Amino acid sequence: MLKSRLIPCLDIRDGQVTKGVSFKSNVDLGDPVPLAAKYYAEGADEIVIYDITASIERRPPDAATIARIADQVFVPICVGGGVSSLDDAALVIRSGAEKVSLNSIAPRRPELLREIASHFGVQAVVLSLDVVRDAACQSGYRVFVQGGRVATDWDMMAWLKFAIPFGVGEVCINSIDEDGMRNGYDLQVLELARKHLEVPIIASGGAGNVGHLAQAVKAGADAVLLASLLHIDGLSCRSIKHELGAMGLSMRLDG
Amino acid sequence: MAQKKSIGIIDYGAGNFLSVERAFRKLGVEPLRVTPSTRATIRELTHLVFPGVGRAAQAMTAIQESGLSEGILAHAKQGKPLLGICVGMQLLGKYSAEDETAGLGLLDFSLAHLRDMGVKAVVPHMGWNELDFRGWSPNALQQQGHCTSRILANDFVSSMDRKDVYFVHSYAAPTGSVGAAGADIVVAQTVYDGVPFAAIVGKENILGTQFHVEKSGQVGLDILNAFIAMEA
Repeated sequence: MLKSRLIPCLDIRDGQVTKGVSFKSNVDLGDPVPLAAKYYAEGADEIVIYDITASIERRPPDAATIARIADQVFVPICVGGGVSSLDDAALVIRSGAEKVSLNSIAPRRPELLREIASHFGVQAVVLSLDVVRDAACQSGYRVFVQGGRVATDWDMMAWLKFAIPFGVGEVCINSIDEDGMRNGYDLQVLELARKHLEVPIIASGGAGNVGHLAQAVKAGADAVLLASLLHIDGLSCRSIKHELGAMGLSMRLDG
Repeated sequence: MAQKKSIGIIDYGAGNFLSVERAFRKLGVEPLRVTPSTRATIRELTHLVFPGVGRAAQAMTAIQESGLSEGILAHAKQGKPLLGICVGMQLLGKYSAEDETAGLGLLDFSLAHLRDMGVKAVVPHMGWNELDFRGWSPNALQQQGHCTSRILANDFVSSMDRKDVYFVHSYAAPTGSVGAAGADIVVAQTVYDGVPFAAIVGKENILGTQFHVEKSGQVGLDILNAFIAMEA
C-alpha cells in the first residue's frame, strides 16, 4: 500500500539552511548539501527546499545548489521560492528537482499552475499555502502570502477549490499560527482539507514531537513536512519512521 | 566473462534524463548521452536506457521523429540489455490507452488508465509503494521456466520483495492481461487501492520499471546495478 511520507524541509537563505520561529527570528544551520544528503541517507522520502529570499529578491531559485543536492539525493526533490514563470520551473526541474512549489505567486497568477502542469504534468506542481486562523473566513482560515506577512482576500477552502483545477498535484498547508511553536500541526485544518480535497495533502508547521506527526497523518495528511525535529532536536528520519511504524502508520522503513 | 560495459541513456528531452544520468554516476558509471544526432552510437553500446516522464504519445512521437526508435529496436533485437523507465517502460509494450498510443511492441503488454482498472483512490498513483515479486527467485524461475527476465539471475533482485519504490503514473499494465503469448513478463507487481499492476516487466534482455528507479533511494540504485550487471 501507499506509504505516508516524511519530508524534511530545508529553508535556504543566502546559501545557508535556516530555521525560523513563526517566520520571524532565524538560526543558521549551514550548507544545505550535506544536510540534504544526510537526510536522504537516513531514509527521507522526499526533500523540500525553499529558497526563502528568492521571491523577495525577485530572482529564480538557486539552480547550482539544487544541482549539488540532486547529485547526492535519489528521492524526489521539491523546490519552492522564486518560481514565478514557466522558465523558472523548467530551470528548477532541469537542475534536478521533480516538483516545484508555488505559494505567493499563485493567487496573483493562477494560470501559472496550468502552464507548469501542462508542460511537466500535475505531479510536478505543489500548491503551497500559508494559512492563519480567521473567524471572518467561512472555513475559519485565511490565506496569507509573502512568507505569511501579507493577508489575501482568499478564504482557504475557496482558494483551494478555485486553484486546484488549474493543475495541482499536491497541496502543502502551512499553519502560520503553529509554525515553529512545536505544539503540533493544526489538525482541524488538515481534517477540513481532507474532507473536501482529492489531492494528496502535506502537513506543515508545528511538529514538536513524533506523536504530532502521527496525529497529522490520522487527521488526513499523506505526508508531513518537518524541520525543527531534525534540524534542532537532531532526531534521525529513520528513528522517526520506525517510531511511526510502531504506532501503526504505514511507512517506508527500508530506505 | 567480464566485458567492457558501455552504457547509454537516450536524451530526447524527457524530464528525468539528468536524474537517471546522476544515478548512474552515483554507481561509478559515466553514461553516454545518446541524442537524435548521435543515435548512430547506439550500436557501440552494451546497455541502453530509455527514460521518460509525461505523456506516452509525446515521448513516442519524439523518438520516432528523431530516428531513435530504430536504434532502440535494433539494440533490443541484438539481445543487449535495454531498460525502460516509467514512460520509457510503458513504450516497450504494444499499446497505451493514453492518447491511443502504439508502443515499440518489444514486450507483450498494453496499458490502461488506473481508473478504468478499478482504482477509486487518487490518480495519479504517486508515492512509495511495495514491490511484490510473487515468489519469483532464480530457483522458482528454473522450476516454472516461463519468466525469462535475465534480471532475475541476480539473486538480490528478488530479495527486494516488499521493498518500496517511488511511483508517479496514471496508466499501468494490468497483471491479468499480460503473458497472453505464454511467457509471463511481469517480474514484480504492485497493488494500489486493491488493484494489481506491473511494476517491473522483463523478458530476456529487456527490462522495464513503471516506477522511477532513479528516485527510489538505495533500492532503485540496487536495481540499476543489477541492470548494469546483466551481460550484453
